[in-house]
Amino acid sequence: MSTVTLSVHVSDIEKLFREHNLALIAFLQCRLNSLSDAQEVAQEAYLRMLTMDNREEVDSLRGYLFKIAGNLAIDRLRKRKVRSDFAVVQSHDEPVDEQSPDHHAVAVEQVAGLRQALRELPAKASQAFVMHVIEGRDFNSVAQTMKLSERMVRYHVAHALAHCRAYVDEKEMP
Amino acid sequence: MASQQQQDTLLRAAADWWVRLREPDDSGDTIEQWLAWTAEDERHLQAFEHVSALAERFGQLDRVSRQALISTFSRPAAPPRRWLPLAAAASIAAVVLSGALYVGWTRFGNATQVLQSAVAQNRNFTLPDGTKVALGGASTLTVQYSRDRRSVELNGGEAFFDVVHDAQRPFVVKAGEVSVHDIGTAFDVRRTGERVMVAVTQGRVAIADLRAGANQNNMLEATAGQRVSFDPDATAMAIDTIAPAQATAWRSDRLEFIDEPLSVVIANLNRYTNKPVHILDADLNALTYTGTVRADAIDSWVSALPEVFPLQVSKEADRVTLSDAKYRH
Repeated sequence: MSTVTLSVHVSDIEKLFREHNLALIAFLQCRLNSLSDAQEVAQEAYLRMLTMDNREEVDSLRGYLFKIAGNLAIDRLRKRKVRSDFAVVQSHDEPVDEQSPDHHAVAVEQVAGLRQALRELPAKASQAFVMHVIEGRDFNSVAQTMKLSERMVRYHVAHALAHCRAYVDEKEMP
Repeated sequence: MASQQQQDTLLRAAADWWVRLREPDDSGDTIEQWLAWTAEDERHLQAFEHVSALAERFGQLDRVSRQALISTFSRPAAPPRRWLPLAAAASIAAVVLSGALYVGWTRFGNATQVLQSAVAQNRNFTLPDGTKVALGGASTLTVQYSRDRRSVELNGGEAFFDVVHDAQRPFVVKAGEVSVHDIGTAFDVRRTGERVMVAVTQGRVAIADLRAGANQNNMLEATAGQRVSFDPDATAMAIDTIAPAQATAWRSDRLEFIDEPLSVVIANLNRYTNKPVHILDADLNALTYTGTVRADAIDSWVSALPEVFPLQVSKEADRVTLSDAKYRH
């Protein structure tokens, strides 16, 4: 009996994977800002689905998959934050290879294009975007610092992201 | 091929979804709506992945580039970061009293002491009243304490002061034509030739422009998070903002510059390198730079300069020269 349940279960998960894996990874990449972390967390989410024992209580497997993945992403961000706070305190001990001239030149060049894209934006849009994406602050904290509503912060960040994407596309596709 | 306008609209829709999906969604409604949107047209998910990849590119820049973008775009008053107290505690723990320099110091005498640091060396001192001084590379400070006044003169370079406030015995730092008066404070003073920059990290200071004599009208007050710049060629001092962590980054061997002339940047880097950099063509002085330079990677920073400025770098054994690219020396 239990064998039958399990096989049905596995095929359900396979179907989920076939239909939604791309979206799941895209969703996780958005949350984690890292494609490789997104792939790892997606794997873990499927594993959780396969080993869950309260399947009858779930009304949408897809909803459940994204919920598990969302929670795993939150855990991962939390761990990353602890690590990065530690890394900032320790920053003078960072590996030497980051300062090699090559690396430095590449970094300078790469950042020059992104900087130019940000320069073309209204100051509030570039500020909100840098605070959120680079400093890693949530919308609420950015809103408080900038004395704006969270809605306006989201608006500015989305505007900046779309603008920078278009700017880089134009530069990189001759 | 979609028209440019369609493409822009699509990117903007994708970016809106990206923003909406960034934060926890307890009900799962946003995710359901987003999945419905991705199911409408396969280009939707592609556009979403495309904007997501760009955000990732920003998020994964190296630390130096991130810091440079933060300095340029998110400057006004980033609130103190959580790690600051930790870093401050560590640096206070590292404060050492340099015994040799205090031989013969008499508490209320008029003894003059000279505190100095070598090139590429940051030093920490504690003055007799408990005031802590961190001295940047190649910097000189003359200290003169008397019964009713604590006078310090920054002859060159940079120093950070964490002052024990005593209204009866004011603490005054003189740097060229500028004097800084403590009002319960920690602050940084940097002197580059006759240019002076004061950054307040805690409390308040009053800063006087001494060019007009002892005229008190030329005083201005600055509070934590503000930076005052004195340029001998300008009629008035300029005031803007700076995050405390930026003002004292040099104490962790990261030299931070916000919109400063290349000449000032180079003069300050030269306090941290044994291979001084010279600017050959005066028109380069007008270029301005914002960003972070690691004190132990000045050489590679200089090598990368032609990527962002129209200049060329020539290196010799004991010095580096920057010249205007258009002259082709």
